[in-house]
Order: sequence, then C-alpha cells, then structure tokens
Amino acid sequence: MFDRIYKWLDERLGLGELSALARHKTIPLHSQSFWYYWGGISLFLFLVQIFTGILLLVYYRPGAEAFESVRQITYVMHFGWLIRSAHSWCANLFIFSILVHMFSAFFMKAYRKPREIGWFTGIALLFLAALFGFSGYLLPMDELSYFATKVGLQIPSSLPLMGHFTTNILRGGPDVSDFTVQRFFALHVVILPLLFLPLLGIHLWLVQKHGNAVPPREGARPASERKTVPFFPNFFQKDLAMWLISLNVLALLASIFPWDLGKQADILSPAPAGIHPEWYFMAPFHMLKVLGNFLPGATGEVAGILLFTVGLALWVVIPLYDGESVAGSRGRNAHYFGVFAVTALIITTALGYWGIR
Amino acid sequence: MNYPFWEVPFIGSGWVIGMIAIFHVMISQFAVGGGLWLPIAERKALREGNADWMNQVKKHARFFLILTGVFGTVSGVGIWFAIGLTQPEATSTLIHNFVFGWALEWVFFLVELTTIAVYYYTWDRIPQKLHLKVGWVYAVSSVCTLIIINGILTFMLTPGDTWLSVAGTGHEAGKFWNAFFNPTYWPGLLMRTLVCITLAGVWALITGSLIDNDKQPGFKAGYLRWTTRWLVPSFVLMPFALVWFLHMVPQSQRALLSLGMSTIGAGTFSQVTRLVLIMVITSATIVIITYYLAYKNPQDFTLAHATAILMLALMATGAGEMAREMLRKPYVIGRHMYSNGTRVSEVAGRNQNGYLQHSLWVNQNTSAHFAEGEAMYRGQCGSCHTLTGYRSLNKLLAGRDRESVGSLLTMLHEYKPETSYRKFMPPLTGTPEEIDALRDYLYAQSTPAPPAHPAPAPTLKAQK
Amino acid sequence: MSEPILQVSPDTAIVETESTPTRRAFLGVAAAAGLCYAGAIGYPIYRYLSSPAEMAANETAVSEVTLDKAQALPLASALMFKFGSSPAMLIHGADGSWVAFSAVCTHLGCTVKFEPELNRIHCSCHGGVYDPHTGKNVSGPPPKPLKAYKVNVGTANVVVSRA
Repeated sequence: MFDRIYKWLDERLGLGELSALARHKTIPLHSQSFWYYWGGISLFLFLVQIFTGILLLVYYRPGAEAFESVRQITYVMHFGWLIRSAHSWCANLFIFSILVHMFSAFFMKAYRKPREIGWFTGIALLFLAALFGFSGYLLPMDELSYFATKVGLQIPSSLPLMGHFTTNILRGGPDVSDFTVQRFFALHVVILPLLFLPLLGIHLWLVQKHGNAVPPREGARPASERKTVPFFPNFFQKDLAMWLISLNVLALLASIFPWDLGKQADILSPAPAGIHPEWYFMAPFHMLKVLGNFLPGATGEVAGILLFTVGLALWVVIPLYDGESVAGSRGRNAHYFGVFAVTALIITTALGYWGIR
Repeated sequence: MNYPFWEVPFIGSGWVIGMIAIFHVMISQFAVGGGLWLPIAERKALREGNADWMNQVKKHARFFLILTGVFGTVSGVGIWFAIGLTQPEATSTLIHNFVFGWALEWVFFLVELTTIAVYYYTWDRIPQKLHLKVGWVYAVSSVCTLIIINGILTFMLTPGDTWLSVAGTGHEAGKFWNAFFNPTYWPGLLMRTLVCITLAGVWALITGSLIDNDKQPGFKAGYLRWTTRWLVPSFVLMPFALVWFLHMVPQSQRALLSLGMSTIGAGTFSQVTRLVLIMVITSATIVIITYYLAYKNPQDFTLAHATAILMLALMATGAGEMAREMLRKPYVIGRHMYSNGTRVSEVAGRNQNGYLQHSLWVNQNTSAHFAEGEAMYRGQCGSCHTLTGYRSLNKLLAGRDRESVGSLLTMLHEYKPETSYRKFMPPLTGTPEEIDALRDYLYAQSTPAPPAHPAPAPTLKAQK
Repeated sequence: MSEPILQVSPDTAIVETESTPTRRAFLGVAAAAGLCYAGAIGYPIYRYLSSPAEMAANETAVSEVTLDKAQALPLASALMFKFGSSPAMLIHGADGSWVAFSAVCTHLGCTVKFEPELNRIHCSCHGGVYDPHTGKNVSGPPPKPLKAYKVNVGTANVVVSRA
C-alpha cells in the first residue's frame, strides 16, 4: 500500500529525482567526522525552539502584561514551567551548538572555495541567533531581563555616529519600557524568523550542493585512501541519534533545573549588583568593561566597539584571505587567528563571570 | 538532636549520600547482574566451543573484577560513612533492627570478592567445569547481597504495620522478619533485579563495543546481539513492577504524588513528575540506540555509543532512586522517624519539654537566642535544606517579613491535616520560645541587611 | 519503490552478518519508543494547551454554596468555608454589612485571613493587605483584588454565589 502512495506522489512531485539525489549523498569518514554532526544538532535545536516558542506564544502577552503572562505560564498553566524551561535552556544549547559548529567549520577550513557563501550565510545566521537570544531575553520583563537588556543596549548605543539613533529606534524611546517589549516581541517572533529561515534554506542548500568539506590534511591524501559513508541510511541514523541525545540532554536540563522567574521589573529601582548579560554576550561585555578601564571616557567605549567590530570583520572575511586549498602561511595564520579567537572568547567570558563573584 | 549536625555547603549532606549511592547502585547492580552474565556467557562459550567468546568473557571478567572490586566496594563503604554522618539517628535504628542482616550481608560481600578474584585468576588454570562453578558461586552470593539490602531499603519506605506496632518498645527484634519482608519488599526486589539484568547488558555493551570488527568480523555482531537481549526483560516488566510497587505504598505516603504534578513549585512539588518524565524519555532513548545501533548495526557500534547508553542508564537510575527518596518524605523511616531524625513518638514530648533539651551541640560563641535559633535550624531543617545552596531557605523565605516567617513556622508546628506541607515536611517541634528563636534566626538569614552604599551603576560606563 | 534503501558505497563495505530482522520488528521498536516520547512530551503539551478549559471547568463546577446558620455570624468576624475546591471567606462587617470573597491571595495563592482589630484582610505569606469591604488590594505584593461573591442573607442560612 505504501508503494502505491509513493508512486502516486512520485508521478506528481518527482520524488524519484529527490531520492536519487539523496542516495548519492556521502559523508567523508575521517578522524574529525564527529564535527559534522553539529550543524544538524543546531538545526534540531532551532526546530525545538520554534516548537516551544509557538507553545509559549499561546499564552504570552507582550506589552504591559508581559510579566503577568509569563507568571501565569510558569505558575498557573499546567506544565507551562516545563515548556518555558525547555525554551530557555534550548536557547542556550542552540547558541552553544552554533558556536561549536562555526569553530569546527573554521578549523576544518570549510570556508574555502567554493564554500565562501556558506560561511557568510553562517555568520549572518549567528548574528541573527544572537539577536534572537537578546530579544527573547527581555520578554518576561522580570528584573534580570529588564536590567540585562538595559545594560546590553549600551553596546549599540555607544556605536559612533548612529549609536543613539538606532538604539532609540530599537528601544522605542530613551528607556526600556513596554514599547521595548513589544518591539522585541515583533523582532523575535516575526522579523527575525522571516530573515532567518530563508538564510537557513540557502545555507543548507549550499551544503547539499558542495557536500561536506574535509580538513586540509585529509584532503591532501589520495582519493582512493579516503573513506566515505552513505548519508542514507548510515550517517542519517547517527545524525538522528545525536538529535535524540540532544533531546535527552534538553529534557534533563529543563526538568531538573527549571528556569526561574524573578520579581517583576521595577524601572525605578537601581540595577542589582553584578548585573550581566547571558554568557554568549559576556565576552564583548567584558572586553568593553576592560577597555573602559584603560581608556577613559568615550574613547574607551569606541575603542571597545572598534576592537570587537574589527575582530568580527576579520573573522567574516577569512575566506577571502585563506581561499586557496594550499598549505601555506595563510592557512597557518588563519588557524592561529582561530585559536586566538576561541581562547580570547573563553578567557574574556570566564573573566567576566569572575568579576561578578 | 542527639548527634552533631554535619553541614555540607551548597549541596547539603543529603546529596553526599545521593551522589555516592547513585554511583554505587550503577556498579553494585551491575555486580549482581554481571554476576549472572559471566557464568551464563561462559557456559555458552563452553557449549559452543567458541574461543573468541571465551576470550571476550575473560576480558569482561577482568573489567568486572576491577570495576566492582574497587569502585563497588569503595562506594559501598562510602555510603556507610555518608549515612552515619548525615543521619545517625536513622542509621542507629537500622543497625539495631537489622544487625543480623547486615552481618549476613558482609559475609556475602566477602564471599563475592573472594570468588570473583578466584574466578579471574584461575582462568585457564583449573578445569573449565570447575571454573564455571566458581562463577556460579559468585553469582549466588551476589544475588544474596541484593536480597538482603533490598529488605533494609524497602523497610525504610514501608516498615509495615507489624513492626510499627512494636517500634520503640524494645521488642523490635522479635519482628525482624515482618520488617524485612515488608509491603514493598517483593515489588522492590523485582524492580532491582530487572535493573541488575539491564545493567549487566549495558556494561557488557561497553566492553563489547571495543571489539575490533575488522579483526574479528562476525564475532562483534554476535556478541553484541546476544548482550542486547539482556535489556529486554526490564523494558517489558518494569511498568508492571512500578505499578505494583506504588500499590504497596500506604495511601498517606502516596499522597505526595498528587501534590503538584503539573505546576512548578521550585521545590518538591513537581519533582516526581519531572523524574518520571526523565525516566520515560531516557528509557525510550536507550531502547532506540540499543536496537538500531547495537542490534541492527553492531559493526558501527562504538565505545561512544555504549557510553551514551551507560549515561542514559545512569540518568534513568538516578531519577528512579531520587523518586523513591521523594516518595518517602517526610519520613526517613516511614511513619516512624521523620527526615530530620525526630521520631513520630517523640513529637508530643518535644513540644512539651522543648526540642533543645536533647541538643548537646549548641553554639557557645553567640547570644543564647541566636544560638537557640541556629540549633533549631540545624536540627530540624538542616537535614533537607541549606540556607544558600540546595533548597535554599533564603530563597524560599525571600520577601517574607518576620511575622510571615513566624506564621509559616506556626503552620508547620500545628501541622493541621489540610496543610499541604504535611506531604513532604515533618512537624516543627519545640516550645514557643524555641520556635520564636528559629523564626528570628531564619528571618535574619533570609532578609539581607540594607546595603551600606547604593548599588553601583551598570558597569559599561567608562571611567571618566 | 522496489530498490533497496541500503546503498553500498564503493569505499565502505557494509557487512550484514545476520539475517535482517523483519520490517515489523524494526517498525515495532520505532513505534514503541515513539509512543514513549509522544507520551512524555505530548502529555505535558496537552495539559498545557487545555489549561484554560480545565480551569474554567473547575471554577464553574460549583456556582453556589449554602452556609447553614451563618446568618448568626457575629459582627466584625469572618467565616472561612470552601467554595468548590478553594477557600473563601464570609465577612460580617462591624457596620453590619455582609461580603464574601475568595480567600486565595492573588499574589501566590496563600490563604488570607480577616483581621477585624486591624480592619483588614491580611496575607501572612508576604504581607499583602486587602480592604475588608471591597476586597481591593491596598498594600504589599498582591497585584489584583480578591474575587468577590454575591451574598444573600436568609433567615436560617447565608447563600454565597458567583457574582
């Protein structure tokens, strides 16, 4: 019976062509193949975010009733706490997963020709994911969200020339208020998804088109010695297994460490001591703080922003620098730059938390 | 409290027991299940004259010897240390009640350890049939250790009406067997046996995943497939065992399950729900990985996969043990002794004569009032709460003024039938003065003093 | 769709060492595991989405409570009773007025108390205060007033019903 249904669909949708394509897809098998999973894990976690996000959307009310609606979700609606915890934890896991994916792609030099656009779209997706995180964080409007957003918005506002202007548009006024919540809500639920999904589509299509990149050392070996494994069913099964593990990890975290809801934000009270953004913003946050201590006044802020922007720009254009598939000084330099970037990020994040103790 | 209080920062002393015990259960239940796995696998190898199998069983026996002999014993003794320090009152009761049982247990432990060492080191040195018999001696002694410890563990949840009727009279020893074969003994034994069999399979998957498929094609698949069957009984029978177990728990204690299934309660309320959720999900995942990888694609089954299964089994086991612990609240020995060491029979007396009459260890370096409050806290609250860490009282009491802290304590003291706290907390005992001292102590701890300087402005502003 | 899904790549040989179990077993395991997942994830989601319906059903289950002999309640005192499954209070004010409120504090659900000597309704959990005549939240954390009921004082009882 299944065969008849398949045939009916195939005659109208050309499924046969798709399955022929899929059957030819192979995944390179080498010592670093483990990192190939992380793009798929990121995709899975994003799908979970959409799912849990839609569920939260059923009861969330942006604007003046934001906190009350989240309070109801957490304490009144059955299992609302679980869905909210899953969404919050998954956001963190998602960004972690994207970072692992990005750095593993970097060190495997998967940005080289012909995969540069995959790299560029990936960076854009990372940027959008950070915005997802930032905008979502404010939505409960508890003390932590409110002040973390207030502090976080100082980053764009210290951009030279356009800083204050763009921040006011983003914020809906000179201060974080109900208007901000509604703007961030529109951003989080409509604007960012509309930008993210097509970019994701392009990113995924490019991976199918070009296949997985192999690390330079593996690529240097003769083709006859290189092993591959079919995507269907072998790698796909393992991919699914990794998704399953991710789901389990998420279920454990969300169940055992449910997400807290603090007191409702009181805009008149001062910021609590040690206020800080979430961990994925901690690195730039701390860098700015450190530079602010070295260079007084506006110079410090601008220097901080510039440093970070320059670093990010270099990161984005790395394919143009290290585009050739030839072992050489550029390849090595790019590698060291990557090591430096990871180390700097980890250290500044750690120092940022250390400073709060 | 008759004993000094052991304060463990952040996690609380209860979790010291929890962590050691969960670790121990993963190994000891493997020891029991694996104790069956080894002679059965050896017999299969003998019957089929399969040298590959025999060799693999020997490798697994070595792994088994080291893991259980070292980590099993150390963690088992670790439990003794932990329970003696954390809950000496209950430990004392268990020892007095089951001293003969404990002694038997240790005899079997000695036999276990001796036979497993003999089993491994006499391999290929004594006739095969005799060697197999040594394996069976191990298996039997190991099963006996489970049979005995299960009695003591299940007693803690359901001592049974017979023992409860003589508790405190000095005639408890006469009801040893009633206490031992208490209402949850048999379902508990079934559940633990099922877990033992599963863990035998899970750990054998670990050693099996290391077989090099290129060197021994066909063997890895056969070995793994045979091993995965050990996980089947648990998945088929566990739901039944669980229902049976819950059925034998007295209704008054089962009430905890209905307290807060679907609401958060940052504390106990939805613990059991969450734990059930975890157990179901991790178990289903184990089924999927075991079937689709170990069984259907054994050649691709790696140590990483086997470890994933092991970790999932750890989660499921940990969740199950924690659920059992939760179910027993507010008692440490069901309907006899509360979690903080106060016996049900002592409550009236302590309310009359004072709780601190029995507190020999009171802080001498502060005011008497503060010391009283602190001693009350440590004796009656500290067994389940910390101030700033696990089940933080500061967090739970935040926002309450002195009067409302007092009303909460009054509610716990009066312990009226409709109070929902009854389902997981003991009554607060003591004289009104002692309870006031506790109130002042807790209020002082949970309410931060107003800051001397205003909180600093957001830290991004550059210094001028 | 008669071609096998399994594809042997030229570089890697896949060895089938035992006859493949039937498709039924394959699907059976998937179905069983899938059911577990569906249950563990689906049950909370179902309860979540049906929360308002469930809560409405609970609320409307009881629409009226008759309190026998309550008309004899002295002045400046309150009678605690159950309206359906949740606590409620009937207050006979010092000025002779009769009011009834839900006794569930609108902050975090603790049961409130009528304090006639202080002329207030007080929640001892976090110090919330309500006006004893209108049920309005006047001080402390409660965000909303207490829900008011209709009171009908008879000769032999008091009937409290939904407003």
